[in-house]
Amino acid sequence: MTLTKLDELLDELSDCDPKERIEMLLDYARSLPPLPERFEALKDPDHKVEECQSPVFLFAEKTGQGVDWFADIPMEAPTVRGFVSLLWEGTRGASPADYADISFDVISKGGLKEILGMQRTHGLTGVLRRLKRIVAETAAN
Amino acid sequence: MSASQYAVPEVVVSADWVKEHAGDPKVRIVESSGDALLYPMAHIPGAVKIDWHNDLQDQTVREYVSDEAFEKICRDNGISNDTTVVFYGDDNNWWACYAFWAFKLKGHKDCRMLDGGRRYWIETLKYPTTAEVPSYPKGDYKVPANVDRASLRALRDQVLDHCNAGLPMVDVRSPKEYTGERTHMEGYPEEGVLRGGHIPGALHCPWARAVAEDGRFKSADELKAIYEGELKLKPTDDVVAYCRIGERSSLTWFVLKYLLGFSKVRNYDGSWTEWGNIVGMPIRKGAQP
Repeated sequence: MTLTKLDELLDELSDCDPKERIEMLLDYARSLPPLPERFEALKDPDHKVEECQSPVFLFAEKTGQGVDWFADIPMEAPTVRGFVSLLWEGTRGASPADYADISFDVISKGGLKEILGMQRTHGLTGVLRRLKRIVAETAAN
Repeated sequence: MSASQYAVPEVVVSADWVKEHAGDPKVRIVESSGDALLYPMAHIPGAVKIDWHNDLQDQTVREYVSDEAFEKICRDNGISNDTTVVFYGDDNNWWACYAFWAFKLKGHKDCRMLDGGRRYWIETLKYPTTAEVPSYPKGDYKVPANVDRASLRALRDQVLDHCNAGLPMVDVRSPKEYTGERTHMEGYPEEGVLRGGHIPGALHCPWARAVAEDGRFKSADELKAIYEGELKLKPTDDVVAYCRIGERSSLTWFVLKYLLGFSKVRNYDGSWTEWGNIVGMPIRKGAQP
């Protein structure tokens, strides 16, 4: 199975006009779940996404069914926060194997290059790369 | 910290100045931030957004927009030739300085910087913000003829001559970019280049050293200690500043020109993404200028 949910969310986003797309991305940014308390002490360079200018932290942990993950991103970095929140919603119920199938095209698929400009999407690629890696590593451990 | 010690003190305005001029039709507040979603989320009441990338740069050729396109941006944002334009943004105003510099390239007379930018306004002062996008009566704008762009902008052949003549240059990138260990800045892998290092002779001084902890510019004395003390630059020197695409160095350009009163300082906006890709350009690796 692939990530139908994520595809649906991306379609919904790219179907909007650019102004609505910005609003939707901001809504995603606002709705990113807070980082669970237990990860606060682990916000160190090992968990920081190097490609991002802002302090972006990602954590994964094993659950009964697979792997769950969490993020900590300041609201003053709404683009990356919104993108991560979209990934978070789109991957609910996904199996670790599904993450390997997420294509780096998600950024253009969601119509983000158009609203952000080419130069501003690389941080997002870095976040996705990191997410795929930590999910795979956590599943393997 | 008082702006009055700066060489051109009026060019830096405080948050209170901006508040006092709310509704002043001769003043336009412009946000230019790195993160494109910040303005739609919340901005200074009355501020318009002029994006350093989507608005000020041509989307095909690596160049600023045409005079006609710039005039339209200004008119649409209620900016006329005699408007006082106050810039602010995220990342300690680095993108805002870039927009300021681009406005100067188009010959805009009265440009100012909001000291401390977005972060100081929101986080330190906790001044109000809004998501409401204002609309203003159209401005009346014409890019003046004969703008002296050569005194603001250095092109690659001029930089090569400058380098060969042993004239001062300041590389404002991070230490690893300067030494050549890294060919791009953290967070910007697609803006990489084929060769790492710096222009021979360029002194190293990361842009952020000009900014205090709270995001405001350092005092004139502190800035003098860095640029005239440590770097041994003189206000009469002919200086070229560069970075990766010319954005961080526009902050340094601003500091040298307006806060310290250097008489001839230019920004090399081609910067390392141009220099490090040109066949045959001289490059030095390591910490030695």
